[in-house]
Amino acid sequence: MPEVNIKARREMELNNLRKDPALLVSVTAIWVLLALFILFPLIRMLSIVFVQEGRITLSEISAALLGRNQLKALVNSLTLAFLVGVFGTLLGFIFAFTAVRSNLPRFWVRLLDASIILPLISPPFTTAIAMIFSFGRRGLITYELLGLKNFNVYGMHSTLFAETITFFPIAYLTLKAILAGIDPNVEDMAFSLGSSRRRVFRTVTLPLSLPGLANAFLLLFAASLADFATPLILAGNRFPVLPTEAYLQITGLYDLKGGAVLSFVLLIPAVAVFLLQRYLVGRKYFVTITGKAGAESSIKSVSNLFRTVLVVFCILFSLLILYFYVLLFYASVVQAFGANHTFTLKHYRVVFTEGLKSIKDTLIIAGIGMLAGGLYGVVVGYLVGKKRFPTRNAMEIVSLLNYSLPGTIVGIAYLIAFNDPPIMITGTALVIIACYVMRYGATGIRTTVAILQQIDPSIEEASASLGAGSITTFRRITIPLILPALFSGLGVVFIRSMTAISATIFLVSIRWILITVRILEKMTELELGVASAFSILVVAIVVIVTTGISRALSLLRNPGAPRLASVLGG
Amino acid sequence: MTAVDIQLLGIKKSFHHRVKGIVRAVDDVSLTVEPGELFTLLGPSGCGKTTALRIIAGFENPDEGKILIAGRDMTSLMANSRNIGFVFQNYALFPHLTIHENVSYGLKVKRFSKAEIDKAVTEVLEMVGLRGYEHQFPHQISGGEQQRVALARAVVIQPNVLLFDEPLSNLDAKLRIYTRGEIRRLQQRLKITSIYVTHDQEEAMAISDRVVVMNQGKIVQAGSAEDLYFTPKTEFVAGFIGRMNALPGSVQIIQDNTVRVELFNHTYRIPLLDPELARAENLKAFIRPEFVNLHPGPTEGDFQGIVAERSFLGEKTEYLLLAGETRLTAVAYHASSGEAYLPGQKIGISLQEENIILLRNGGNK
Repeated sequence: MPEVNIKARREMELNNLRKDPALLVSVTAIWVLLALFILFPLIRMLSIVFVQEGRITLSEISAALLGRNQLKALVNSLTLAFLVGVFGTLLGFIFAFTAVRSNLPRFWVRLLDASIILPLISPPFTTAIAMIFSFGRRGLITYELLGLKNFNVYGMHSTLFAETITFFPIAYLTLKAILAGIDPNVEDMAFSLGSSRRRVFRTVTLPLSLPGLANAFLLLFAASLADFATPLILAGNRFPVLPTEAYLQITGLYDLKGGAVLSFVLLIPAVAVFLLQRYLVGRKYFVTITGKAGAESSIKSVSNLFRTVLVVFCILFSLLILYFYVLLFYASVVQAFGANHTFTLKHYRVVFTEGLKSIKDTLIIAGIGMLAGGLYGVVVGYLVGKKRFPTRNAMEIVSLLNYSLPGTIVGIAYLIAFNDPPIMITGTALVIIACYVMRYGATGIRTTVAILQQIDPSIEEASASLGAGSITTFRRITIPLILPALFSGLGVVFIRSMTAISATIFLVSIRWILITVRILEKMTELELGVASAFSILVVAIVVIVTTGISRALSLLRNPGAPRLASVLGG
Repeated sequence: MTAVDIQLLGIKKSFHHRVKGIVRAVDDVSLTVEPGELFTLLGPSGCGKTTALRIIAGFENPDEGKILIAGRDMTSLMANSRNIGFVFQNYALFPHLTIHENVSYGLKVKRFSKAEIDKAVTEVLEMVGLRGYEHQFPHQISGGEQQRVALARAVVIQPNVLLFDEPLSNLDAKLRIYTRGEIRRLQQRLKITSIYVTHDQEEAMAISDRVVVMNQGKIVQAGSAEDLYFTPKTEFVAGFIGRMNALPGSVQIIQDNTVRVELFNHTYRIPLLDPELARAENLKAFIRPEFVNLHPGPTEGDFQGIVAERSFLGEKTEYLLLAGETRLTAVAYHASSGEAYLPGQKIGISLQEENIILLRNGGNK
């Protein structure tokens, strides 16, 4: 029976393509894009890693794995990623639990939200710079406050701390949605059956959020594994990790192949995480969103004392994050932080003279990337989520590949693929935009698919029964309903285009330079004031643009529109 | 506009189910709906009634069979060219459009002028009592109001046919009764041929000109509410429309047109009107709870029983009786509060011969 069914489905899918020329054209166009900007670079990279003089060989990869330094880098990367996953998930859970289960006054909720959103919209080095200002040789806390002369800020401890702060908001957003989805009646029920509060938490709340916790852990693991900016600044010589090693191999030693091999080693755990996560998300969460919210629980699942502890902890932690940003701002308006604290605007003068080109370039690239990426996300999401055609599943997986792979891999693959004929576009804006679109447009795909799943099929049937053809229905019903996905897609691509570095650092040139790369240069030139000024500028631009997009979103008269913050999480 | 008739000819539709394999959702259904009639498909969930309705609307294609509306074959026509109004169970209002925009949607699609649209929308909103709600969004109004918007949206395009898919199931009990009256009045005023799907027998009887009972994809019996209630053709219909007590006594045909039922040493002689039943070998006797008569004296009536349970329901009282091993449900409508029997009390029970219903034994369809 099933075989007949599969055959019938294939037939139906093929028929859809034949009958609908618009579908055929768009499916073909998307596949051309996917082949060109996702499959081709990855295949080129694989061939560089595995093919030597026309033969397939494992010698490069085994040499890379057996080299002492490289093996150490791999172990370091995995350890770091694991620890960031554990601590970030824990921190995210504490914050989410506090936000959902303790009736905090508005002001404090705003404070928490602000401090949680900040790391998500910041350029990659902000936490690292602030860490150096605080804990470095002449750091505000270690030197000025505690008088420590020899505190070493560089190493695994700082990297772990900075990455946890940078990435825990992802866990927070994931877990908050899960916890908010747990019907308080279920907890009340357990409570009324005689459980203690602690037992309710252990036997009901925790098991129900388990899939969310696993998912958050994997997201953080992948984020840390791919992060190259934080270790570059904070890891120091004694704690090499793979992404930075690969970067140094290429930019320092001009060894493209060596870099490719190193980043390929990264590919294996990354793909493992990608597959694990698909498996996890594919299985149903316990929490179902029925849209019928149970009554707000009056018996809170935490005792007053414990609640106070949680709230105080979260507020202190939020203040720490805010302190980092205040410090960053302060450093951008004084002569030299730690030495000369007279007020000056000279760093900003540098930003707006010498740095003007990078600002202009970044804005152009982010602007174009945002439009192209938003559109790409909605189109692919619509095809994958709504249409039935051959290769649909393959399209979904391939379209999410570049998003799931560490940026270093994507960057090196692009560098390898587009450096030579037939397609020589290294150094152009096109290659950077393509990289951002294929990488971050994927969030738009997922949002679109999610929204499409929420739209009851009867809404489109209602339109048909009122006499509307499929084009009218699409234009007047479907498009307005998935418009929020477009806007959130725009926002994500813009934010990432402003703040990303791991992939595009390999793709910038004299003709097209990005602010994030400028920040890195200023860091290595030890012009921390200018680096801070650049970072503040990026945060400001992102805040302005995303506020604008949020406004546009709230103008859309759609009650089901997801908020921007909920999109940043995935 | 004159009302049209609807004909279904041999409609079949099967689905593939993950566990059950091939499921015949609609199995050779043929029926005719007269012009202007409100016709109800009644049955338990999964009986195929909604699938049949969706086939008429054009949301599903039948595997076999034809749909004729006003004699015209609609089978291969898309849903958007059938001119059918559909009221969905969950209303399916467009969440991003105001009430006015929701209702005017079908008219805009048909390119009416703005003045015509405004006039029609105002009229129809007046009709369903929602004037002043034009600029609200669906999520801002109550479930009952949403239901009326769905109704307004469906009738404003002046459809040939109106289809209702369990439109009241999301409303609370009081509102359900009120709204079904509204739907009935509106339908009679507009005289649009309508098909109504529900699993609620009371709703079906209250609203319909005719009812078709469906089970497992097939039509079991069609007729007016009275027909189905007083002369059910199968045990399924007897049990689905109202309630039924099965009587344990032996049923014997003594002559061609009389049946003898032996029950607790009492003999009932029942005239057999249906010639088909006369040919059946094995008959079973039934009686509805409201026709089980109770007498305070245990020796009164045809046989004796004990009150096992009593539920006071306001206008009536329900009793569970034990007569020997047999459980009987009885309903007593009473004028004064004194006529109560208490659990444990011995009472007399009598049945009227004309109220006993005879059905073929084992005919479960």
